[in-house]
Amino acid sequence: MSDPAGTSLPVLLTTLSSAVILNDRGDLSAPLETRGATVDWGGVYGQCVRLTGAWQLRLADASGATPLPESWRAGGPMPGGYRTVHRWNDLDLVHEVVATPDPSGAVRRLTISGPPDGSRDVHVVSEFTPFLLPVTVEGLRPTSFRATTGPDGVRLLQRGFGLEYRSDAMFDRLYLNRASWRGGSAEGPLAVVASGHDVRVPPRGTVALAWQIGGGLARSLRGADAASALALARPEAIGASVEGADRAWRDATPDLRFPGAPQLERAYGLARAGLRRLYCAPGDDLAGLSAGFPWYSAIWCRDVAWMVPAVLWLGDVEWAVRTVESVFRFQGRSEVPILGGQAGELPMQVAPGPIFLYGTSDTTLYYPGLVARIARHGGRALVPTTWSIALQRILDWGRARTDPDTGLLRNGGEVAAISAATAAVARIRFGIEAVDTTIWDSTDRRDHAIDVQALWWEALTALAEWLGPEDDLGRPARGLADRLAGTVRTRYWWPEEGYLYDSWRNDRPVARVRPNALRAVSAGLLPGDAARSVIRRAGAEDLATPWGLRTLSARDPGYRPDAYHDGQVWPIATAWAADAAFAAGLPSVGHAYLDRIAAQLAERPGSAYECYRGDRAEPFDSCFLLGFSVGPFLSVLFERVWGLAVAADGPTLRVRPSFPASWPSASLHGLRIGAGRCDLDWARGRLTVGWEGPAPLRVTTAAGEGTIAPGRSGELAVPGADPPSPGET
Amino acid sequence: MSERRFGALLSLVRQGVTLGLDYGTHSLEVMLSVAETVEEAVLEPGSFVRTPGGLGFALANPPLRTGAFSSIRARVAGRAVPPEHVRLRGGAGEAWRRAADLSRTAPWTRGPGERTEFEIDLPSSPAGETTVRLEFECPAIPPLVWLEFTETPGERLP
Repeated sequence: MSDPAGTSLPVLLTTLSSAVILNDRGDLSAPLETRGATVDWGGVYGQCVRLTGAWQLRLADASGATPLPESWRAGGPMPGGYRTVHRWNDLDLVHEVVATPDPSGAVRRLTISGPPDGSRDVHVVSEFTPFLLPVTVEGLRPTSFRATTGPDGVRLLQRGFGLEYRSDAMFDRLYLNRASWRGGSAEGPLAVVASGHDVRVPPRGTVALAWQIGGGLARSLRGADAASALALARPEAIGASVEGADRAWRDATPDLRFPGAPQLERAYGLARAGLRRLYCAPGDDLAGLSAGFPWYSAIWCRDVAWMVPAVLWLGDVEWAVRTVESVFRFQGRSEVPILGGQAGELPMQVAPGPIFLYGTSDTTLYYPGLVARIARHGGRALVPTTWSIALQRILDWGRARTDPDTGLLRNGGEVAAISAATAAVARIRFGIEAVDTTIWDSTDRRDHAIDVQALWWEALTALAEWLGPEDDLGRPARGLADRLAGTVRTRYWWPEEGYLYDSWRNDRPVARVRPNALRAVSAGLLPGDAARSVIRRAGAEDLATPWGLRTLSARDPGYRPDAYHDGQVWPIATAWAADAAFAAGLPSVGHAYLDRIAAQLAERPGSAYECYRGDRAEPFDSCFLLGFSVGPFLSVLFERVWGLAVAADGPTLRVRPSFPASWPSASLHGLRIGAGRCDLDWARGRLTVGWEGPAPLRVTTAAGEGTIAPGRSGELAVPGADPPSPGET
Repeated sequence: MSERRFGALLSLVRQGVTLGLDYGTHSLEVMLSVAETVEEAVLEPGSFVRTPGGLGFALANPPLRTGAFSSIRARVAGRAVPPEHVRLRGGAGEAWRRAADLSRTAPWTRGPGERTEFEIDLPSSPAGETTVRLEFECPAIPPLVWLEFTETPGERLP
């Protein structure tokens, strides 16, 4: 599989506050197909700011010059970094790159070994394109920068953003826009910054040079200090530290074994590793998960919501709490039209600055369910008391957009509102004619998209549960949820297709087949026969392909195979299909969908593509790693394949697995429930549960229930594969 | 200043004060710096000029979207300009392409930091403040991206 640009998968190095994208030849250059064109995404990223574009090294001597990649001989990962080996003329070179958390950026080091017959003089040039703008401001590179030199190196500023560039050896030459620069201060357009070192390599000796770029917010620049000196002097130690933290995190997550499905077991490991790469704590006390790489590497709060459930199943309850806390900090307190914000609304994205923006119909709706999940996994005591106020504001925000008679929540119109708010004040005005801002935000799904209604129902249900049946807000939330469920069942059923309408607009159904209807099945809003009908219809070949589900039926007049939300295949939609199939009692269908995702993850380890063309299994306009493509997949493994539900306050565990009849066994070790951990071993209908926790664990299965004392294990009967339901063939 | 613009500015001040109080002045400063960058990094300052046949200007970046554009439409003073009267190129020395010749198979491709020069032929060169609107269509993400500016065109150096 290749992308249209014919490029290989980039190498991604991350820390919690930084990222480096490079190619396997060692240079920080990574041309990738992007929205139909080729764009180089290589470079250094810090604090959700793209610090640089391509950053390249060149070698020169009296005989000529060469870019470093052209001398490449071998390469591969090193702890927390990437190492390449090169040979140029009679010199051996080792090049190492690591992402560094402090300063947030990168260090690269070049070690040059000389031949025995004499010394060699080499000129080493390091050259990069400055960017200095948040990653998510798409398509723009600032045009003007301020460059200054100091005892520590070069500092570049672009309004509120900046970077520091330094080396462990004094620069022999500096260049701006490929013209020599004596240092001092310069301001204006800046396409390239470069430095040169003159190096004499002794016979049989080695010389090492290291470069560092770090930055993000200008106010966080602080010159050379102990942390940056350490990173520059011992990048391998920084890399080892980052890898050690990754390993400790991985070791604390559950170990899943599926002897009957090694592809699924491997996919679990790959998806888990992908999720870890998205962990993000970029500064300003923000914690969360990046939406993806390369062009969505910021905290997008909808994307976060699809990853937090997986984070909880992996046992990192504290990270989930920090993440939701980071989002709640920016809950709208009053109307701010210029940012698209309303009171009670949660932001679309947050980044250090802090920079934040509102203007989606659905992001806010995810968070009541996430709070309920955090309480289930970690215990209600773990939930900050202030969150109750945030949840009440969410309820108020949602009700203000809701028809009280039908319970339907209105989506769409936010971008127009932002454009109107900014129209009269900006010298240059921009806009995207996006009329809707739900998950498929490049198409029109106004006014009452089915998945938004399912989400609203889940939010209302979680709020009602959280507030309690006697609460003055909890009661009406329950009532609204019931009305909404009734409306979905009566208004959205599309008899000709045995499916659900995609939306309702102007009192008419929007008759388009999209995978979003599957969310109503997962939410349990449809009776069994209707749910199974939806699963079967979604599996027809106009929507389903061997590489996953399209965003729109190929029979729809608006279908285009290269349109982001009107035809492309998205792994998240495939995960929805898997989830819904299990929920509807069609486990073999669910497993088949999971196998498709597993195959994609295995095809290019390290990737979890955002989307594929609708007419062939080729990533197109696709981030190479997206949280959407790993989070829901991981959650389905726990919630549907293992059929787990936990309640830390108790504690209790429900196990209702849907293992294929061919599976001999399965195990899940290290599942966190509150302050305890349990091990599950299943083989042919018997489940052994081991439990280490502060209180006895009550376990329920389809065949009964039992209680496991702390430090003990017990055995229960558990049917493995659910018997095929009448609708499953 | 029109009443509408004055009202909008007052609203902006109110929203800025709210943000400053709620999230601190750091936040305001950084968000303002992003807004300024976006505003200044697209239309090249001083590039909007009268040409013998109409108007010319340059964009230093693609607006809001990177990628391949299958169509670029222009409106001047609210009137649509036929695409055969709109020319574009990357810079001096490159051949002009007509907007009418852009298509899904022959799009105009731009990455971050890549400029585009425009020339628009008009029946008569507008005098005074003129509003130009451009609409870009990227097949991969269909919603139109638009850019609009109102300036008085300068004279091109002979």
